[in-house]
Amino acid sequence: MSTLALLLTQFVNALSQAALLFFLGVGLTLIFGLMRIVNFAHGALYMLGAFVGYSLSSWSGNYWLALAGAPVLVGLFGAAFEFSILRRLYRRDAHAFLMVTFGLALVVGEAVRLIWGSDALQVPAPPLLSGVIFLLDEPFPVYRLFLAATGAVVAVAIWQFLERSRLGLLIRATSQNADMANALGVDIKLIRSCVFGIGCGLAALGGVLAAPLVTASNGMAATVIIDAFVIVIIGGMGSFLGSLIGALLIGFVQVFGNYYAPDFALAFMYLVMLAVLVVRPGGLLGKEA
Amino acid sequence: MFGQFRPSRRAMLKVGLAGAATVASPAILRLGAEAQTGPIKIGMPLALTGALGSVGQQQKRGAELYAKLQNAKGGILGRPIELLIEDTAGNPANCVRKAQEMVERRDCRLITGVTLSSEALAVVPKLAEWDTIFISSDNGDGRLTAESLVPNFFRANISGPMGTRAVSLYLRSAKLQKFYALGLDYAWGHNSVQVFEQEALKSKKEFLGKIFAPTGTKDYSPYITKIRQSGADAVFLVLQGDDNNAFLSQAQQYRLPEKVKLLTEIVDLASIRAVGDASLGLIGSSRYSFTYDHPLNNEFVAVWKKEHGTVPDTFEGEQWQCMKVFEAGIIKAGGIEAAKLRPALEDIEIESVKGKVHIRKCDHQGVQQGFMVEVVKKPGFETPVPEVIATYPGDSTTPTCNTMTFKD
Repeated sequence: MSTLALLLTQFVNALSQAALLFFLGVGLTLIFGLMRIVNFAHGALYMLGAFVGYSLSSWSGNYWLALAGAPVLVGLFGAAFEFSILRRLYRRDAHAFLMVTFGLALVVGEAVRLIWGSDALQVPAPPLLSGVIFLLDEPFPVYRLFLAATGAVVAVAIWQFLERSRLGLLIRATSQNADMANALGVDIKLIRSCVFGIGCGLAALGGVLAAPLVTASNGMAATVIIDAFVIVIIGGMGSFLGSLIGALLIGFVQVFGNYYAPDFALAFMYLVMLAVLVVRPGGLLGKEA
Repeated sequence: MFGQFRPSRRAMLKVGLAGAATVASPAILRLGAEAQTGPIKIGMPLALTGALGSVGQQQKRGAELYAKLQNAKGGILGRPIELLIEDTAGNPANCVRKAQEMVERRDCRLITGVTLSSEALAVVPKLAEWDTIFISSDNGDGRLTAESLVPNFFRANISGPMGTRAVSLYLRSAKLQKFYALGLDYAWGHNSVQVFEQEALKSKKEFLGKIFAPTGTKDYSPYITKIRQSGADAVFLVLQGDDNNAFLSQAQQYRLPEKVKLLTEIVDLASIRAVGDASLGLIGSSRYSFTYDHPLNNEFVAVWKKEHGTVPDTFEGEQWQCMKVFEAGIIKAGGIEAAKLRPALEDIEIESVKGKVHIRKCDHQGVQQGFMVEVVKKPGFETPVPEVIATYPGDSTTPTCNTMTFKD
């Protein structure tokens, strides 16, 4: 394999991994930016997305239905959770949210085990995406290209949604000053439910997209939540662009780190985080803490 | 005269202590008697969650069915079996703590389960102090019956070096020449890759290199690229649980099996179901498979199907065999006290689902035949199944006593 082919395939692959990380990180950061809540259940909802996706695709035989349906269902679940439980806690301090979202993670984790069992389940990629293409004579899975493309599309869509749409404007207003937005007649309760639901839906989208790579398994929640937090901390809590940069940085560090220095692969991610925090304690694009 | 009776503080203390001892003694007697007649408690600190959660769940199911059926027959020595099950999440420190609680608070003197080798290695130094017997049902690390062997540890299952040995015996007659290895970056992965490397070199094959991935790795593409670049004919895999599923799924997406033959230390049914056709053609040793043709196994599979509506998995079979070793040992010893059970287990031989299992006195390893299987499609099964392609007698797959190496 030529060095160029190696770099090219690993580059595209890093983009695909960054896309998966981005879906997690952006939901977490949106929720934090608006509500100042660190959602510990994010990994569990990512896992829930994969399992709901499994059920939808094996029931309908259609991966695309699973891809569209799982984020919507998990998003509605998230919005309902905000509406019924989180809403009662806004007057309390941050510890209450920590306990409640951590509790949600445990409940979702156990529920998944009870409903789908403890064995990993196969979610095959659709036939259209299960082939390979040749990048400089090296086989590369089409599915990973699809991941990278989906990541780009979703990133642009969220950006446009936040910048151009009326709901996006209200979300930005509420995260800057919730009391002022409320005084101006914005229904901030509704905005909070929406954002929590969107964040959870994005986590589920990550889960259902990751499933053909890693299967849907009980262990997937634990392995991603750390990555998601690292991304958000690097990018700056609450920053959309920060989560995108964080995801790209970690995606590239993981892929190239694993290839060139596998013994230190685990350490690289934390070293990057450390370096960022030393230079900018609030994260790359976050407010100074 | 009465005025002269002034008990000293010391005398009062003595009376108090004696009184307390009298009140407490029935409880002490009762506890002592219970250890000989009450339920037989078997502690299982298991990784029920985490990357190897599916393995822990299998061990749990295997032990539970055994306890249920055996209790219906009146237990062992007329005493019911009680399983104490706790989740360790695969963390060695957790595992030691949970095991210690079972021993000290719940008066349990028998341990099995302990899903990860790293957990087992953390537990074994404590066994003497706890006066507890631990029979491994799945720990692969060869050191447990070599340099880390303690008197109260026994292994009923096929170890990592034994599985690796079956693979290397098979390779001696195979055409494959150049090998690469990928293992999980913890005790078992390193140990098995090391044994495979020695065996490959001994049989005059080329060993091109090795790489280790941390447990919980999600993206295996850098490893797949390395394997492809090495120019090997085959890659030897020491992976398990979610990592194994992720690797096999992604290897197929990269079309790796078209170029490089996939060998594995352990073929696991749960993995085959999880990745489907991505497991086709995989060759490896098997610690247990429902496809072994042995009367006791056929009986076990039938019982399992009746209970669970499906066939038993690798560690369900291994745990079942381990419980049978417990049973035979306890009957032979006439009790569960370590001082009696230890000599009873040494040199014991049972007929199990995998054929004869003989626990060697010298290193407490269960000598049993080794199996090589290939994952194939078979009519009547929705997912691929492991088919036995070779068996090796226990003498040839079990290492020399107290070592991880083989004579030839």
